[in-house]
Amino acid sequence: MKQHLLLLWLVLCASIGLASAQNRTITGVVKGSDGETLPGVTVVLKGTSMGASTGVDGAYSLNVPADNKLATLRFSFVGYVSQEVAVGTKTAINVVLTSDVQSLDDVVVIGYQEVRRGDVTGAVSSVSAQQIKDIPVNSAAEALTGRLAGVQLTSSEGTPGNNNVQVRVRGGGSITQDNSPLYIVDGIQIENALAVIAPQDIASVDVLKDASSTAIYGARGANGVVIITTKGGREGRTAVTYNGFGGFRQLSKKLQVMGPADYLNWEYERAQLTGAGVSGGTGTFKSVFGSLNFSGDTLNRLRNLPAQDWQQQVFGRRAFQQTHNVSISGGTKQTTFNLSLTRNDEDGIQLGSGYVRNLVNFRIDTKASDKFRVGFNARFNDQENLGAGTGAALGTSSIGQTVNTGSSVTSRLRNTVQYLPFNLPTFAGGDPTTAFDPEFFNNSSLVNPVLANNNEYRSDKRRTFNMGATASYNFTPALVFRSTGGFDITYADLNTFNGLYSPTIRQAAGGYQNLPFVTLTDGLTTTLNNSNTLDYTFKRDKHTLNALVGEEIYRQRTTQQFVQVNFLPSDITAERALANINQAVLPVGTLSQPVLPSTTIPVDYGLVSGFTRLSYSYDDKYLLTATARLDYSSKFEPGNRGGVFPGASAAWRISKENFFQDFTDKVSDLKLRLSYGQAGNNRIPDFLTKPLYQAGNVSYALNHVTTPATALTTLYNPDLKWEITTTRDVGLDVGLFNNRVQFTADVYYNTTNDLLINRSINPILGYTQQYKNIGSTSNKGLELQLSGTVIQTANFSWSATANASMNRNRIDDLGGLSEISSIQSGWAGSALSGPDYVARVGQPVGQMYGYITDGFYTANDFKSYNYATRTGVLNDGVASDASITGNPVMIGTIKLRDVNGDGTVTEADKTVIGNANPKIIGGLNQQFTYKNFDASVFVNFVAGNSIYNANKIEFTTSTANTSYANLLSDMNNRVRYIDNNGALITDAATFQQVNANATIWSPVRGNYFLHSYAIESGSFLRLNNITLGYSLPKGLLSRAKVQTLRFYVTVNNLATLTGYSGYDPEVNTRRGTPLTPNVDYAAYPRSRAFLFGLNLGL
Amino acid sequence: MNFSLFSSRKATAAVLLAGAAGLVSSCKSYLDIEPTALTTTAAQFSTVSGATSAVLGAYDPLSGDNTYGTRLSMYYPYDTDELIGSSGTFDTGRRGLARYKAYASNTEIINPWNNLYQGVERANVCIKYIPQMALYTTGTSADTASLHRLYGEALTLRAQYYYELIRNWGDVPAQFSPSSYDQDFNLPNADRNQTLTTLIADLATAEKLVPYRSGAGITNERITKGAVKGLRARLALQRGGYALQGNTMTRAADYASFYAIARQECLELMNQRREHTLNPSYSDLWLGVNQQRHDAYNEIIFEVGMAGSTATGDSKLGYYNGPRLNNSPIYGSTQGAVTVVPTYFYAFDSTDVRRDVTIAPYQYANGANVQSAVALNTIYDGKFRRDWHNPPLPGTNNYLGYNWPLIRFADVLLMFAETDNELNGPTAAARQALLEVRTRAFNGNATRAALGVNTGSKADMFTAIVNERLLEFGAEGIRKYDLLRWNLLADRLAATKANLNLLRAGTAPYNTVPQYQYFRVVNGVVQWQRSFYRPSPANTTAPSGTTRVNWRQGIDATYVANLQPNGTAVTIGTTAVTSVGSGMAAEYVPGQGKELLPIPQTTLDTDPAIKQNFGY
Repeated sequence: MKQHLLLLWLVLCASIGLASAQNRTITGVVKGSDGETLPGVTVVLKGTSMGASTGVDGAYSLNVPADNKLATLRFSFVGYVSQEVAVGTKTAINVVLTSDVQSLDDVVVIGYQEVRRGDVTGAVSSVSAQQIKDIPVNSAAEALTGRLAGVQLTSSEGTPGNNNVQVRVRGGGSITQDNSPLYIVDGIQIENALAVIAPQDIASVDVLKDASSTAIYGARGANGVVIITTKGGREGRTAVTYNGFGGFRQLSKKLQVMGPADYLNWEYERAQLTGAGVSGGTGTFKSVFGSLNFSGDTLNRLRNLPAQDWQQQVFGRRAFQQTHNVSISGGTKQTTFNLSLTRNDEDGIQLGSGYVRNLVNFRIDTKASDKFRVGFNARFNDQENLGAGTGAALGTSSIGQTVNTGSSVTSRLRNTVQYLPFNLPTFAGGDPTTAFDPEFFNNSSLVNPVLANNNEYRSDKRRTFNMGATASYNFTPALVFRSTGGFDITYADLNTFNGLYSPTIRQAAGGYQNLPFVTLTDGLTTTLNNSNTLDYTFKRDKHTLNALVGEEIYRQRTTQQFVQVNFLPSDITAERALANINQAVLPVGTLSQPVLPSTTIPVDYGLVSGFTRLSYSYDDKYLLTATARLDYSSKFEPGNRGGVFPGASAAWRISKENFFQDFTDKVSDLKLRLSYGQAGNNRIPDFLTKPLYQAGNVSYALNHVTTPATALTTLYNPDLKWEITTTRDVGLDVGLFNNRVQFTADVYYNTTNDLLINRSINPILGYTQQYKNIGSTSNKGLELQLSGTVIQTANFSWSATANASMNRNRIDDLGGLSEISSIQSGWAGSALSGPDYVARVGQPVGQMYGYITDGFYTANDFKSYNYATRTGVLNDGVASDASITGNPVMIGTIKLRDVNGDGTVTEADKTVIGNANPKIIGGLNQQFTYKNFDASVFVNFVAGNSIYNANKIEFTTSTANTSYANLLSDMNNRVRYIDNNGALITDAATFQQVNANATIWSPVRGNYFLHSYAIESGSFLRLNNITLGYSLPKGLLSRAKVQTLRFYVTVNNLATLTGYSGYDPEVNTRRGTPLTPNVDYAAYPRSRAFLFGLNLGL
Repeated sequence: MNFSLFSSRKATAAVLLAGAAGLVSSCKSYLDIEPTALTTTAAQFSTVSGATSAVLGAYDPLSGDNTYGTRLSMYYPYDTDELIGSSGTFDTGRRGLARYKAYASNTEIINPWNNLYQGVERANVCIKYIPQMALYTTGTSADTASLHRLYGEALTLRAQYYYELIRNWGDVPAQFSPSSYDQDFNLPNADRNQTLTTLIADLATAEKLVPYRSGAGITNERITKGAVKGLRARLALQRGGYALQGNTMTRAADYASFYAIARQECLELMNQRREHTLNPSYSDLWLGVNQQRHDAYNEIIFEVGMAGSTATGDSKLGYYNGPRLNNSPIYGSTQGAVTVVPTYFYAFDSTDVRRDVTIAPYQYANGANVQSAVALNTIYDGKFRRDWHNPPLPGTNNYLGYNWPLIRFADVLLMFAETDNELNGPTAAARQALLEVRTRAFNGNATRAALGVNTGSKADMFTAIVNERLLEFGAEGIRKYDLLRWNLLADRLAATKANLNLLRAGTAPYNTVPQYQYFRVVNGVVQWQRSFYRPSPANTTAPSGTTRVNWRQGIDATYVANLQPNGTAVTIGTTAVTSVGSGMAAEYVPGQGKELLPIPQTTLDTDPAIKQNFGY
């Protein structure tokens, strides 16, 4: 009641004050579609500078010259669709603004120019701040996942900070090269932008998907262009907003492993099979577990020990996180600014892992004069990722990503899942999570996972500083000169330490001699980018012609230093080791540090470009655009440096046609788009076109001293030239019911020719690979986007945005070869031999290649079989897979299919058993408001792809090198070779009785290999995000001088509907090359986040 | 549509080029980036130090896991009648090689092949550019001498790489100039005899360029004239020996002329005793290798230098092979993956010092600092032993820095004896060379050494040499290739399998081999309590203070059955056993082409011109 009185009072005051003036006074209240009054709405008398803004109660009053009968008021407010109302003779105008899901009047900077969204002639997917405001995440990439049609963002694992997101626009054309898109932030090219921007700072994201819009970006535009606009300032009062959230994350799924009794029985069986007097045999069993008496007291006591859930101990913590974002924005008519400060503090669910980021983003735009505008943007990002992760040693891939390079033995996930599931009472050290058990390690190569985690330190610090300036000068209203300059420094500082009980240093092959080591990697990337354009617009009647010419230079320099110091004092801590690396003492017999300090080859890369665009529109009905760009890249020889990339597109706004006017009440907008264009890719290493030698890249030992030597780096190829992607797109945009419902459909066919491939060449030449332009790939697909307001009443609204895309990738040609041979994901190092992926002409990239699992050998497969020696003669026609499994064939060993029917299972029996490419991906976001409550639910899905569950192979296989490793509980149903008393079975009757219900083979094997058991469907439907919010009523807030105050709770990754047996189907751990997608090996398990947050506007 | 307007890329280019012409010309230098960390061919081969560094780069592929560090020294030369590579059923890795059932996709085949050809390429680069250097002809005398030597070394290295390729794979493609981006990448098989003939001629050139050891300055692992000559003799014997063509072992008609070359080279070396000669002590020679000290007699003429504890520059000699050390606090750990064929132990005379150098019938059990004896079926090779490392090297480091000897002077003597006998019959000179090697093996006791050596006829002399090379070169990666060039592999494998069954049964000549052996440990060393040549006592219980190990007992029906291919049902004596195929050369069947390795799959995939070897 009080509120209403207040309102009345205000209105009265205003009326009294205005009634006395000469002019007519218009008053009114502006409300949002939710019925809530809107403060701060700009109300302008069109064509004049007369204006006002609404007060806290949404009311405004404005003087209008009394004689101006044609006056029109324009109501505008960020996040809402602007509205114009003719004044006529009215004196009170109340307005309801609808929130702006995606306004056709928005401008978007496409190709160095601002373009009205409605005039876009290419294929674009967009997300606005409105859509991601409810997603309290720290990673911009994570915030965008599933929201953009035709754009697949795959988080490779669940590491805190989530910086390893793979972004693919329409599949990606390159086979072996980086397919990441180009990022343009506020008009300036920024490397890997999603990693250096806070989601809270994003105003909008537009992804250009076809070459008609990307061609003008030429080089690097081939894989799409992601245009990010950050929030700028607004004219008016200085607004302060605070967005903060905090909460915790929890492991969302665990793998079921054997408990103490099952584990012990299995180890007993394995020891019996290995035999007496052999390493890992019964003798070792007795020394590890204290007894060989299967039913005796000692082993029974062990069986009854409490199970140690190592996954819980390593990944089970409630990982706290908090994010604070403060932004101050405002400005005058001339100058607007926005300063935003963000702090992320996130613990990982894995012990010792975490993520801290401080981010400053400052943007200022000023109109120096009517003709001259200047903008400046500075961004500083300081982040640290802590934690050694779950995989084996981390390295850098050929495309610059952080990837697992090591083999399986030292992976922390393996040590966590497979470690002894109980605490050995005989262990003298006491608590195994703080004391090392050398005997168990010698027998199993396993280190207690908690201990291992605490002995491995990794800190990945990145400091990025971006500076960008834009200037524009209007010679005439029609002729504009624009210039942008960007400077980018990224400093990377990666420190690792492996302490005394790290599994890595205990590997004999590593040469660490059981002593700690540190590595220090420092990298510096500087980028300079400048573009200048001249933009001319000609308008007459219904004709609009625009011409743009421009020039751009780009220069990048990357340097890196690496230092590794081994043989540090055994008890040293990470801090002390990293603070002083000079403490190493060479062990007896070692003459030098095995790894010398090194610098990488500095990479200087330059690009010089010129471009032009002509666009013409007639009456907003027919829109034509043609672009062309010429790029010169330093990566090629002078004759091949230039690449010309043309593009053209046309749009026909059918809804503007006269014949269509009868339908415009329902179909408010109907536009048909056609586009065709080309873009280039030169993302290959530098210095490949000349024969070049590198001193010190090889060495030879003289008198037992390593002497540096020199060799050619590659087989050069002066013929290297641009890889060219041609895109063809047909799109349809439909707006219904005054654009309340918007629908977009695109069909495309993209081909990439002259692929830059580091192809395998005849090794007889002395090199195994050489870069060459060969072959072509294609991607074709369909994308649908639908958004709209389903229900809109005074108190309740429901809006939804949905997208779905289907992409089909195909290798069309490999320059005469039928396949790229020997693609190895390498998760098990040399323990898994031969290729496990193929890339063949006529098929997509990412085909998993292995054996077909045919259950296990049974008595029916044998002519004769001796149960005591477990040897036999196979029936004719039954193939032996001994050479693949590395184990003699027995009843109960895994059986692989003899695909070619030649009588034995060999490498030739591998076939394609999985495809990493999804059939369809998409997402559905729904937002609800009811009075002061709001809610959103976001669901995304991927369907029809396969995952290569390498974890499952490792966790269900027992090789000679992995004895005493625990197995998945699936292996409780294995074929057993011991009877209920622990004795090896010697006769058929007992064997059959024990194994009557066996459903799976015995885990004993000599080698790892990929077989179809490990290929699983990767389809999932994820309830990615659910948020419930409450905004305090405006009236209440106004007294506290608060504009907005909203509280919300969110759950991220609440539930995933999937048949996948591993931690999470969204996974991609072998990222060293794009040829081995969707391997789930030692990924950081994904977590579920429970968050509470608030948005405060002052 | 407006496509037609811009469909011509040329038109667009013209427009753009016109506009950007000025810009681009000024930017040409902007885009010419100097690779500061790298050098061009001209710069690399402009100085002696640059050329030296490039030649060392050509040496580099000799060392490391994929070549003589592990694969070529410890996987490829087995199984034979001397040693058994990592026991177990054939698999897709090293056991596939050892059991003579390898597949083209085996990475143990792919990687060494790739590395050897990498060596060829690096040598080819040096061979092409060093003689073109201005300093090569017009430099100071020191410069020209250095460059001549480097050129000769490069020629020798290329010959060594091709030699290894040819003896393992047969008719391998051969390229004698550096690879070029615009050449034909499809290289066909080349006739191995032709390649060898070319290489033998190359080495004749190299001999003239490279100084003898004494004239080569600092002694190190670089090639000197002795190495060139020794290798030339070896290549000539390879060229003059048998080799697998299709599925039959054949020898070229002109073989004798190559024996003459080999004989001549050996003779010349035998006349340079100040450069290289036999170390009078066989044990000192091998202790020296393990202790990594310089041998005063320079018996090892050519060896691969290893160091650095890396997979590309060091060797696993003494870690992968040698007696098994299990976490010994003093001596460290080894794998003991190479074992000795029991009959090889008994091929030695009881007083032949080479037996106890070549064979190590002991181990260091888990955590022990003292030896313990092992059963006859698991005795280890012993020329590279971690427990001989000086100083002792505890821990599990895989890389011990042991060099791999390629050519010893003893080989020169025996090659001389062999070629002289082949060309001139059982001459006194041949017999003398043979006995020189043998006398050293009996610690200078010439009488004992000559005992029972029948050199009466050419055939007898040949047999004596075949036997002597078995005894002299055990574990040096020589036997398999000797047997192949003599066309004796099938015979010797079959004979050894038969002998092992005789050993199992204890029948002559193994009737005196004891069932069990007994040992004490004295000062940390195994001391055997009874002769190896005297049957066990009736009471087989170990006398007090001694420990019993299986000796002949270890060679049981299963051991013998496992010498047959996997899955073969065999009856040994009265025991019926199905072989798991884990024994010596278990999958070897003559006439199936397994004497050569398959051309790697990765090469077949990328080289349509190449033909796979017979039988694969």
